[in-house]
Amino acid sequence: MNMITKSMENEIYLLTLPSQVTIDTIMVIFNELNEFQKIQPQPALEIDFKDVETFDSSAIALFNSVKRMGEHVVFSNIREDMEKAFAMFPLTLETAKQISKPEKRRYKKRIENYADRFLKMLGEMKEFVSLLTDEIYYMGQYLSKRKGIYPGEITNQLYFMAFKSFPIVTLISFLVGITISITSAEQLRNFGADIFLADLVGFAMIRELVPLMTGIILSGKIGASITAEIASMKVMEETDALKTMGIIPEKFLMVPRLMGITMAIPLLTALADFVGIFAGIIVARVFSSIPPDMFLKEMFTIVHLGDFLIGLMKTLVFGWIIVFSSGYKGFSVKQGAAEVGIATTDSVVLSISMIIIMDCIFAILLY
Amino acid sequence: MNEIIRVKNLSVGYENEIVLQNLDFSINETEITVILGKSGCGKSTIMKTLIGLIPPITGDVYFYDEKVDYLSEHVLKSLYKKIGVLYQGSALLNSLDLYENIALPIRMHYPDLPVLIEKEMVYSRLSQVGLRGSAHKLPGELSGGMRKRAALARAMILDPKIIFCDEPSAGLDPITAAELDHLMLELRKLFGITFLVVTHELRSIEKIADKALVLNEGYMHYYGEYSNLISLKDPFIDSFFLKNKTAQRNSG
Ligand SMILES: Nc1ncnc2c1ncn2[C@@H]1O[C@H](COP(=O)(O)OP(=O)(O)OP(=O)(O)O)[C@@H](O)[C@H]1O
Ligand SMILES: [Mg+2]
Repeated sequence: MNMITKSMENEIYLLTLPSQVTIDTIMVIFNELNEFQKIQPQPALEIDFKDVETFDSSAIALFNSVKRMGEHVVFSNIREDMEKAFAMFPLTLETAKQISKPEKRRYKKRIENYADRFLKMLGEMKEFVSLLTDEIYYMGQYLSKRKGIYPGEITNQLYFMAFKSFPIVTLISFLVGITISITSAEQLRNFGADIFLADLVGFAMIRELVPLMTGIILSGKIGASITAEIASMKVMEETDALKTMGIIPEKFLMVPRLMGITMAIPLLTALADFVGIFAGIIVARVFSSIPPDMFLKEMFTIVHLGDFLIGLMKTLVFGWIIVFSSGYKGFSVKQGAAEVGIATTDSVVLSISMIIIMDCIFAILLY
Repeated sequence: MNEIIRVKNLSVGYENEIVLQNLDFSINETEITVILGKSGCGKSTIMKTLIGLIPPITGDVYFYDEKVDYLSEHVLKSLYKKIGVLYQGSALLNSLDLYENIALPIRMHYPDLPVLIEKEMVYSRLSQVGLRGSAHKLPGELSGGMRKRAALARAMILDPKIIFCDEPSAGLDPITAAELDHLMLELRKLFGITFLVVTHELRSIEKIADKALVLNEGYMHYYGEYSNLISLKDPFIDSFFLKNKTAQRNSG
């Protein structure tokens, strides 16, 4: 179908529009005009509106873009109501172009981009460190003066952190215990060293796996909820309200969580250690026929209280990492619900990465 | 009359944007000052600057003749003992019920206050705003107007000298809005509380305003007695009021 015809007398191309120029029919006209422009870059074109009965804002958008083709396009037989409608939709794209800055050369832009990002990262690190030092100060202040946080809030947090997360922590610890025991039992049997399963499982669970797994689970369970809660309070101006009531939000919200995690971690770690080793005992009994008492006796020749304490300390550090980084991400939100979601996922990624880095540092230090 | 706040050559805004400049005005004790202006002209920004949530770009603010150093935590702490704020979105803590929300400032600043007195204070404020019966509901279980009233109760629980209100009657029906206005007038009369109110509601302005601060295009357009405002024959102010009147007629 060819809508554009050439009038013989005066070398003008003519486009007579159909009666319906709406978002449903506009593609046809658009394509026609596009094709036409390819063949005839600067033709004199008359667009005739005489048949048009219905039109919508997409039609106006189309003709505004046609106007940008140049002076040589004329509209004819436009009804008064269409004229008015056109007036309500100014040529925004053109004006937008005029305001926007001239494009910089690409490579320069890219370098600036990296520089900007680097500076932003430095800024974020500075904020993180300043929140960290503030929190340490607030913790000290709270411990000495017992003021500045809501009464009963520590218990609340402890309940949430310990009681609500112990099922998942113990379950995962049990499953990891089973998995690592079965994998090791198979290998050890090849050397006839079945009994050392006890040492391996005990040591690995207490020193390495329980802290790491607990850290990772709590990042998702506790970290995400801390970020989401604080971030949404920021968006809802609740932190501003706290401030103007003379309450420091960074203290009011974070100290109970830090206290909570400090009390919850030893409970969770002990439980997870216990369950993990229990899993090892089951596997040893079933797969390698090692009785539980022998397992424990063997285990305690290698694993000492010190190892338990090291594991506990590691988990505690991971817990603090989770609360700090999720709190930091929560407070970094400025406005808008979308930012809450982004901050929440960011906080989980941040705490898991930091936990693994810290774990590696511990491994080197404690070697 | 005592001057409570004096603003000298103040410019306010955000990191990369000055929103308003050359602000000069003062607020006397027990006066109700309304801030008027188009949406996005910086009304909330002035308020946030005065209460220390965003630092001023240039200029000074004096509170009872003392210059406020918004960077000093100590200064802010003593400022926050004397002011109350009613936020545009109420900003009640969602995890606490109404009673606890209103008791929060007491519990935080006077933890040793006997429970009986705390109860007395909180319940009397709740009654003043007509929420005595909803004391143990969570903010999520309340209507927008009830939340606003609860937030006002919280703002005045420690008898502030001045209460800042950001659009207190936005989203309220005319009757509830009028009740809120009445409440402000009563509080002013009984306790001598000063108010700085951002509002668009003409009815409310007519009822409560002593002074008006009109903002336009980044500057202070008018500051002075509200009663002089109408007789001024200023095109912007007239259009503002005319527009407002038609808008209200259309919506009401
Ligand atoms: N956090 C922010 N960062 C940067 N600019 C902001 C921020 N908040 C507001 N602005 C800008 O400051 C200007 C004034 O905003 P403000 O919220 O003070 O307006 P307002 O007069 O209170 O409007 P409304 O009547 O709609 O509440 C606006 O142009 C807005 O885009
Ligand atoms: Mg506002």
